[in-house]
Amino acid sequence: MRTGLRVAVGIVLLFGVVGLCIHYGATYDTNWPHPTGEQLATDYDEYVDDRILLIGEVQSTDPVDETLTIEITDDADEVAAEIEIHDTTAAVEPGGTVQAYGTLQAAETMTATETVVVNHGPTESQYKLAVSVVGILLAIGYFLTQWQLNLQQLTFNQRSTTTEADHNG
Amino acid sequence: MAELLSHVLIAYTIFTLASWYVEWFTKRWVAMGMIGALFPDLSRIGLFVTDATIETMLGVPFNIGAVHTIGGISILAAIGSLVVADHQRTAFAVLVAGGISHLLTDGLKIWADGFASAWLYPLSWYRHPTPGLYISSDYRVLVVVGSVALAVALLDHRVIVDRHTSTDNR
Repeated sequence: MRTGLRVAVGIVLLFGVVGLCIHYGATYDTNWPHPTGEQLATDYDEYVDDRILLIGEVQSTDPVDETLTIEITDDADEVAAEIEIHDTTAAVEPGGTVQAYGTLQAAETMTATETVVVNHGPTESQYKLAVSVVGILLAIGYFLTQWQLNLQQLTFNQRSTTTEADHNG
Repeated sequence: MAELLSHVLIAYTIFTLASWYVEWFTKRWVAMGMIGALFPDLSRIGLFVTDATIETMLGVPFNIGAVHTIGGISILAAIGSLVVADHQRTAFAVLVAGGISHLLTDGLKIWADGFASAWLYPLSWYRHPTPGLYISSDYRVLVVVGSVALAVALLDHRVIVDRHTSTDNR
């Protein structure tokens, strides 16, 4: 395929990704079974007595009362609601992340039937980020041992390595 | 998501095993599959630019989460296949397979309501029940996956040496 044509097809496909994200964003609220941050902020009462899933960052914990308070954010990462989760013995510290599934109640509270600790504290999200960077570097590094960038044609060509010949016997 | 290192090592393991049985599936395709395993987490661009910012720019709803679905990785794989000099169809298939290995692995993790994310989008919004095997911050996932990948890497080295030896003796 000629370089110009490949660039053109590539641009069309990039628009395709953006289009998919737009469609996903436009249809998410009606297809996802649980309220988003925006929906909780604007129509909280509509979800009272419903069993819903909340995912949020822990603000405070009270092991004696078996409660913890989490922040639910909206699309802009702004705080949309602050919900007090009851009946949870989840071992988590402020700055951690939890999923809580249970019945939403008035006055921004929830009685949880299931709580999952995603990150016990802030250090675990840093751990995931650091390890993920290693993963990205490993994948790209290994890729570059097998493929070589041809800047003129904007393509990756297979490197001629002995490994290939070895593997083919 | 599990962290990306686990996803990359899982892809390495699966595709290296495939290379033992399928002759044309050489190391360059193993490397390609590992790149495909990164694709779903391109949705983490959301850590730097919020959906709301892009919505304001475009004037329409936007959710980067679409990238973390079968539809998202398929288009990204099509883009990826354009930048290889030849065997574009194979590149596309291997990139998609790498992305699916990531999505399937994520489909095994714990959700509080017992159902995985709707990763089959746009084919379906179905959320399958999850066996709830792990949480993403559990370092034991990396220990297990890393150990298996290391064992496969060592065996792979041996497979190559054996083949080399048998070729020499022919």
